[in-house]
Amino acid sequence: MEAANHACTAYEAKLEDYLSGQLSSTDSRQVAEHLKSCAGCAAALQDARASVRLLRVADSTPDPGPTFARNSMARIRAELATAQEARGFWQPFVALAWRFAATATIGLAVMAGYDVVKQHNHLPQSTVASVQQADMRDLFTTEADRVPVNRDEVLVMVAETEHGKH
Amino acid sequence: MSDVPKGVAAQAATIPATLIGRSRAEEDRDLVRRAQGGSEPAFEELIRRHQQRVFALVGGILRRREDVEDIAQQIFLKAFVSLKRFDQRSAFSTWLYKISVNECWDYLRKKKVRPLVYESDLSEEQVSRLDGIVSHDRPPEAPSERAEARELLERMLEKLPEQDRQLLLLKEVEGFSVEELAGILDLNVNTVKVRLFRARGRIMDYYRKRIGSTAVARNSLGAGERKGSYGSG
Repeated sequence: MEAANHACTAYEAKLEDYLSGQLSSTDSRQVAEHLKSCAGCAAALQDARASVRLLRVADSTPDPGPTFARNSMARIRAELATAQEARGFWQPFVALAWRFAATATIGLAVMAGYDVVKQHNHLPQSTVASVQQADMRDLFTTEADRVPVNRDEVLVMVAETEHGKH
Repeated sequence: MSDVPKGVAAQAATIPATLIGRSRAEEDRDLVRRAQGGSEPAFEELIRRHQQRVFALVGGILRRREDVEDIAQQIFLKAFVSLKRFDQRSAFSTWLYKISVNECWDYLRKKKVRPLVYESDLSEEQVSRLDGIVSHDRPPEAPSERAEARELLERMLEKLPEQDRQLLLLKEVEGFSVEELAGILDLNVNTVKVRLFRARGRIMDYYRKRIGSTAVARNSLGAGERKGSYGSG
């Protein structure tokens, strides 16, 4: 909705103060001077004064009376008690859940720690190197270089050697 | 119109003797500290000291008298629950009024209602009765006339944007100062003054349109202007 009576933008706040008598005497004189030469501001001020008269018709909200504070405190106590009761019902379950979570966390930490320590003890650097060395030998040694470990292998090697001669 | 609401003077009698002689803000700070320490009587005293302003604020925003008490109790419950987190950097009243405004907006959002809705427009006869009030600055005396005038005003307010309506009611009817409104609504004081002044123009613009002829309205307003006592100009 467009207002029919436009005040100068620079004077709107001052006119609101002028209306309620909150301007200093200097500012008040300045506004009064401006009103003499500005029809828009003068008309807007008239409207503002009329709005004050119009709004006097409305009644302010009445005081709730002395019982309100007491009743409010009673309601606050009741609401807090209800909340406490609700918390009280779930309290054992919540406590149990927390205990379970704490136990599980500690258990996991102990297991992880044990695993790390165990791995560290069972795989020392020298062992790892020797395993790697053995693997390398398996990959690059020829059949001829192999050392027989039992009697059968000795026999097989002799047979292979003899077979090679022929 | 005085900035001091009618209920405040009546409440002064209920202030305990230990609080007399100090500023209201200091008394509030002391009561808040005690309430934060778990004193229910201190919080009850805070309710007693601020209930009228909270009612005015809720009434000014919602304009539904039947819901005001319930919402005000809800506001004090929220304040009680969050009081431990209140660091007293602002005045207790400003903090409480902000809770109140948020609670009112939540209520309006949840209920999905506008504060009041009138289906029909004003009749010419009704407008001319209202013109008598504005022109002659003579509020109707009979209860039935007052009730009708109030209803007519509500219908006119209904035509305004929500914020204009709330500002006008809180300032002119419920007695909040511009500075209080700026604090409650998180606005600059100058912004509140400008919005208020424009809202006055808008409601009178609607009023003039309903009167029918701008010239007639201007004459009648001029008559009222000469008789009006508000303002310094």
